[in-house]
Amino acid sequence: MGVPEPEESFLSLDAKLLRFMDQLELLEEKRATLNSLIEQGWFSLSKARYSMGNKHVSALQYASEIEPLVCVHARTLDNGEAEFCIERVTQSKESGKDERSVEDIGPQEEGVRRRNKPKKDIARSEKAPEVTPVKKNDQNPQQDPLKWFGILVPQSLKQAQLSFKQGMMLHFQTSLYFMIDAAKVRSDNFDNINMAYKSKRHNQIQKNTTCQ
Amino acid sequence: MAELSFNVDHGYLEGLVRGMKAGILTQTDYHNLAQCDTLEDMKLHLQSTDYGKLLSSSEEDLTVSLVDNKLRENLVTEFSCLRTNALPPLSTFLDYITYSYMIDNVVLLITGALKQRDVAELLPRCHPLGAFDQMAAVGIARTPTELYSAILVDTPLAQFFQDAVSESNLDEMEAEILRNKLYKAYLESFHSFCKNIGGATKDIMCPVLEFEADRRAFIITVNSFGTDLSGADRSALYPSCGKLYPEGLRLLAKAEDHEQVKAVADCYPDYKMIFDDPEPGSDFKTLEDRFFEQEVKLNTLAFLQQFHFGVFYSYIKLKEQECRNIVWIAECVTQRQKSKIHNYIPIFQGKN
Repeated sequence: MGVPEPEESFLSLDAKLLRFMDQLELLEEKRATLNSLIEQGWFSLSKARYSMGNKHVSALQYASEIEPLVCVHARTLDNGEAEFCIERVTQSKESGKDERSVEDIGPQEEGVRRRNKPKKDIARSEKAPEVTPVKKNDQNPQQDPLKWFGILVPQSLKQAQLSFKQGMMLHFQTSLYFMIDAAKVRSDNFDNINMAYKSKRHNQIQKNTTCQ
Repeated sequence: MAELSFNVDHGYLEGLVRGMKAGILTQTDYHNLAQCDTLEDMKLHLQSTDYGKLLSSSEEDLTVSLVDNKLRENLVTEFSCLRTNALPPLSTFLDYITYSYMIDNVVLLITGALKQRDVAELLPRCHPLGAFDQMAAVGIARTPTELYSAILVDTPLAQFFQDAVSESNLDEMEAEILRNKLYKAYLESFHSFCKNIGGATKDIMCPVLEFEADRRAFIITVNSFGTDLSGADRSALYPSCGKLYPEGLRLLAKAEDHEQVKAVADCYPDYKMIFDDPEPGSDFKTLEDRFFEQEVKLNTLAFLQQFHFGVFYSYIKLKEQECRNIVWIAECVTQRQKSKIHNYIPIFQGKN
């Protein structure tokens, strides 16, 4: 009938499960690192407030409309898998016409947008990456967010930015990688469990018919 | 002789400020606050200090920002009480203290306008000690010259604009340069005012203001590394009423890294220890922390002499440090970073 040996399916299932556990451990480690980076960043912001004054490191220093410096492009491939890529907008002194920035399409809340604290860059996954029209902006959209707080900022603010940047990259690496991999592992596991069940059932039926 | 005539006009207010100084938090108070686990506990402990029901009277949620606002309100009330009863020259002296807050407010309004923030949103966040009538109009100026001629010409800040006028558009860099140029002119003017008063006021205030000038020169230099501000540009921002003038400032303008700045500081015994490497095993302190510590030391000396205006300046500065300390402890409590909670700077060791 072409049903594979049950032992092979079970072995493959075990291997996949072990791999899943290893990756879960790695994920937890990276999550712990991410949490400590975020805490460090917040604490450095508090230190900056101590030096500069509470009102000089607050929501007043950034605009209500912010252009992201890092974008996440997502699309679904033909085989149903999701593909992600990170685009970092390079900072340049001249704001030329060929620099693209992402335009809000339709209602403001379209797409998944995670708006973080002012020091973090905003990430957004797009459903249709081929639509990225040019947007004209009065201000230089590639300005380093550090400059929102002044030119002569203390070291603690720079440290905060570094912590948040590192945290952001770690977050991308772990969450996107694990999202793809977890989906794959899950679908593989489902196929294996299905096959193992089918072969067990087939064996049971065979046993029953030979006994009778 | 100051001892004979000072009390005629200013004795009551000196008595008042010394009474208020006695309410500055002690080591025990800080120790109690550092033991707290929540802001509610801190509120409870503050009730037994001179702050009393300051935080309890508010209906809003208790946050670090609210604590900061309430402490600031308290300081402003005390200062207003002193200022409304002051006679010249103490009234002029107290006005000088407010000019630094005015400069900060002007820059806050300009940078807020750059970010398209509404004036109604920015005005409540300005420091009340630096309030002036024309504040709402500051955001519409596009260049420093326009700011001066259209808006600030009738304010006390007008006298500090000699070197600060320029036709460049007010962006982040220009706003920073404007802030520092105004502050330089302000500090130099305040220094010469105190020098002219003479006597104990000059003996107490001039070293404090010289330290402030030198501190600004060091901080501007260190923070300008890695930015677009060149050595030539930043030398125009250094106040010249400090000990570093002229040789130290010339060397700082040429410094390219932290080591060179340290080499300049090594020539001055007061600043050498600020830039010294920390002892192994001790807590890491930022440069700003060390300057704050030195500032507190100088300000506490003001209370050792009588019949001078320095006590008023020092009281305001010490209360500000106290606010910073309380807000720092509050941040550590809310973020559960208890290991760094003792980085505050105690003001009076032991009894007042």
